[in-house]
Amino acid sequence: MSVAIDGELTLKEEQMFLLHLSECEVCRIEYEDAKKTKMIIREKIVRFKAPPSLVSTIMQLSNIDTKETEDTLL
Amino acid sequence: MTKSDTKHPVKAVSKKELHSREELQKQLEFQKEAVVHINSLYNYALHLTMNPDDAEDLVQETYLKAYRFFNSFERGTNCKAWLFKILKNNYINSFRKNSKEPGKVDYDLIKDFYHSIKDTRTDTTEAEADYFHTLMHEEVYMALQSLPEEFREVIQLCDIEGFTYEEIANMVESPIGTVRSRLYRGRKLLRAQLENYAKKFGFNTETE
Ligand SMILES: [Zn+2]
Repeated sequence: MSVAIDGELTLKEEQMFLLHLSECEVCRIEYEDAKKTKMIIREKIVRFKAPPSLVSTIMQLSNIDTKETEDTLL
Repeated sequence: MTKSDTKHPVKAVSKKELHSREELQKQLEFQKEAVVHINSLYNYALHLTMNPDDAEDLVQETYLKAYRFFNSFERGTNCKAWLFKILKNNYINSFRKNSKEPGKVDYDLIKDFYHSIKDTRTDTTEAEADYFHTLMHEEVYMALQSLPEEFREVIQLCDIEGFTYEEIANMVESPIGTVRSRLYRGRKLLRAQLENYAKKFGFNTETE
């Protein structure tokens, strides 16, 4: 079930799965529920932005060693 | 771990190497491949540490380590997955070991934190008008946090970060089959939790 929701089925498996859903109400309901749960997580979990100070620290990170060396060389 | 550990990172690099073309190339590539994932890493760190300061430290350490070992990153593979794995290892090695009360979640703190930082995402698609849309961010977050860590983790990695089963299996060091069954069981638990919240507010949770 999770495999289907996460798009991890092969094309053939997916066809068989869909065929089964069309015949089996139990699985159909479970499938819809599981899909909904996944959607809720995606939509409702707040995504925070990394603080600007952190971003600039990381951006500089790859230059830090260069700068330090320049300092010592001067 | 102390702050000074993270402030002076790459000592082992030889001076000759520093100004070389390769080093510049590496810096550019690192920024293009790795730094672009900073928001995802920060969110993951927040989920793990439950504390903005710790999350910052964790992300910073992760990038320092990633930069140091960037040569060992397999080009063409998912860099975000590689970074997540480093972050997770860092978390296990330093943070979790040092935490005073492991596993204890301060729900008030989470709530405060959620309110303190305003959601930048307002474009939620209200496609289906059902009771789930009445759930608040906090409730979904609390429901997620209430799950045992092994379930919570795979749900985060799969549903929030969009990793494949294979990538998740590699990150949590378990077989794909385990990831699959944790996702399945975790979502079931989560759904039950969400229905509890919805019921509390008097919504009908029967599926038609
Ligand atoms: Zn069935």
